[in-house]
Amino acid sequence: MAEKPRPLHDKVWSKLDRKATAILELTLRQYRTRLSTWAVLSVGVILVLITVLFYIEAMNSEIEAVDNDGDSVDSDGDGYPDGQENLLGTSMNNANSHPGLFDPPIPPDSAEDWINEDGYDFSSAKLGTSQGYDDDGDCRVKIGEVGWSSWVDENRNNISCDYFFEMRGFDLKVVADPNVDEDPDEDAYFKETLHRSFVLGFGKIGFVFVLGIFVPLFLATGLIRDEIADGTLHYLVTKPISRAEILLYRLLGYIALVWPYFIALAVLTGIITGFMGPSDGFFRFQDLLVWFGIALAACLLSLAYAALFMTMGTIHKYGMVAAIVFGVWEFAMAMLSVFEPEATVSRLSISHWGMVIVDGFSNMAWPDSQYLIALGESTSQYTDSPSGERIYFDEMPGTEAFSTFFHTTNLTGNPLQDVLIASGVLISMVIIILVIAQLVFKNKEID
Amino acid sequence: MMPDIAQTGQAAGEWLPQAEVPAVMLDKVSKWYGNIVGMNDISLAISGGVTGLLGPNGAGKSTLFKILAGKLKPSQGTVRLFGIDPWKNTAPFARIGYVSENDALYDWMTALEFVTTLARLYGYTRDEARVKAERVLEFVDLKDVMHKEIGKFSKGMRQRVKIAHALVNDPELIILDEPLQGCDPLARTTIMNVIREFGAMGRTVIVSSHILEEIERITEQIVILNHGRLLALGNVHAIRDMLDAHPHSIALSTDRPRELGKAFLDHKEVFGVHFPEEGKLIIRTHNLGALHADLPQLITDSGFSVTAIDNPDDNLESILTYLTGGGD
Repeated sequence: MAEKPRPLHDKVWSKLDRKATAILELTLRQYRTRLSTWAVLSVGVILVLITVLFYIEAMNSEIEAVDNDGDSVDSDGDGYPDGQENLLGTSMNNANSHPGLFDPPIPPDSAEDWINEDGYDFSSAKLGTSQGYDDDGDCRVKIGEVGWSSWVDENRNNISCDYFFEMRGFDLKVVADPNVDEDPDEDAYFKETLHRSFVLGFGKIGFVFVLGIFVPLFLATGLIRDEIADGTLHYLVTKPISRAEILLYRLLGYIALVWPYFIALAVLTGIITGFMGPSDGFFRFQDLLVWFGIALAACLLSLAYAALFMTMGTIHKYGMVAAIVFGVWEFAMAMLSVFEPEATVSRLSISHWGMVIVDGFSNMAWPDSQYLIALGESTSQYTDSPSGERIYFDEMPGTEAFSTFFHTTNLTGNPLQDVLIASGVLISMVIIILVIAQLVFKNKEID
Repeated sequence: MMPDIAQTGQAAGEWLPQAEVPAVMLDKVSKWYGNIVGMNDISLAISGGVTGLLGPNGAGKSTLFKILAGKLKPSQGTVRLFGIDPWKNTAPFARIGYVSENDALYDWMTALEFVTTLARLYGYTRDEARVKAERVLEFVDLKDVMHKEIGKFSKGMRQRVKIAHALVNDPELIILDEPLQGCDPLARTTIMNVIREFGAMGRTVIVSSHILEEIERITEQIVILNHGRLLALGNVHAIRDMLDAHPHSIALSTDRPRELGKAFLDHKEVFGVHFPEEGKLIIRTHNLGALHADLPQLITDSGFSVTAIDNPDDNLESILTYLTGGGD
């Protein structure tokens, strides 16, 4: 009994810390002994891996190249594709006019050289400034005329053969001179947009929402409820420790298990898709920012759900029923946030704010996304069916998926501010839920 | 009916430089669950020594303990542990050890891990907690098996783990809810010794049981509960004195019970005799003292031989039976 008195700092903080780590460790070890923990975490890993397999499959498939501007055709049958003839000033309708008659003669290009020959050229896009380069020269050389005299400036920005982006309402539109960047590589465009769609779609729905709600549903609902049901809660509450602290430390134990799990899973998926995805280098480094956002959103969302489900389990042993009903609402709001981000009703949910975080990071990591979508939508596209019929699309393959999953930040217009606000909202929610939870728990009689 | 058995030895109201607050103080405490009364208007103060809390199943012993442990909120009245309300403030638990009637433990832990983990909730460091845990596990005779999983323990060992966990903070007040339930004789003896030792150290120990010989072997100081009411409190003898005005029995063993019974019926304090079995005679009286005084003369006068005189009421069970209205 006669212990040496401890200094004050040792009394308050270190004692708190000792109690916190004791309950944290107890919680972690309880998780470890329960089969359900391993089942839930394994199911999460398996779901992620299966989805990644679909991604890898899609990345290994080839999208057929389309000659969007039709200049790979040799109309006059002189062996020179129309594009080459047009660029060099010979007639594409006269077999006796071709670059082979030049001195020295120029050999004909193969038709493939004139497919996907005029891809998108824009960099760090800015609104209203001149973009694009007419790689195949069919804008600079006015069709059917010889010479460099006829510069085309249909968009009336005093610069020939370019385009600029313009906001029309909420949509970004391309205002282009003809035949600029009109024959892009479908496969490259499709893979780039599909990759980003996958990261966003899977990140938001699969990772942030599904894992973010199901993991706490199974792992957090019982944090207090199971102790009551097992009759072991009195070992914790009949100690010189407040019930609010017990709740907090139990939740810390949950965090200690689930946050590293989410982060590890995000890193794993990020590495696989970073190597498998289309990239100039060997790895898509810019994606890491998005995966960071996904992990952050999943962690915060699952914490908010965990606090809520723990509270529901504390209020009643069948609190999981309420949690499931609530989950349906959250699911609806998550879907609304993904597919109809302008709707403001979803701001009443928890899941919406996770989506805002992912959107914010995707805008920071891929600032060209909007422009890519606008270009994809502006490029007319066709394919020849086996019967020879030509089917037209009004956009590039992959544009629709990407425009579905990619959202500009609609909260403040600044992605970083959006992320900070959404994180603040989620953390405030956690604090409010915990304040309610400890009021409930303090007045809970334990039989 | 409500003698105060506070053992502080201080007269109420007397000025003291450091007034000792009773370890346990209940003032008009009631607890009901809907229409069911769990505890009815109980006032009680306990400090120092071992107190046995006695009552049949459902008497309200566990309800009382749960209120003391801060697990239940009293519907009415005031509860104080060392002067503090345990429902509102967990600070007194630093000085309290509580053993629940519930047999649940973290079965996947070893005994040492269990006690160490919970000891850390008192604010001990990992190392302090471990040293203290080893010490209490040795104290309850579990040192040999402290590295085994609790799930593999017998009922008696589990009870001792629970008791060890309650002793780890060196408490001044120990509350044990049915600590002997389901224990084998060896565990029973160990637990009883532990309780007596702590009582002898001047700590306050409250033990509940519905088995009377257990309590008798631990302490003389008892509190009797039934149907949520406080029936009696004090020591066994004080309670027996209080009952002296009520019907008592004396059992005699003799070869001629009927003849002897006839002789006793003439005595003014005897109001009935009966013969429970061959060679036995039970005399019913309102004044045990007076009858005891006259007993030797009456036997000599009757001329019959009496081989044994027994006072079956001098036993907690019959007191309880009487107090709880089970017999008369």
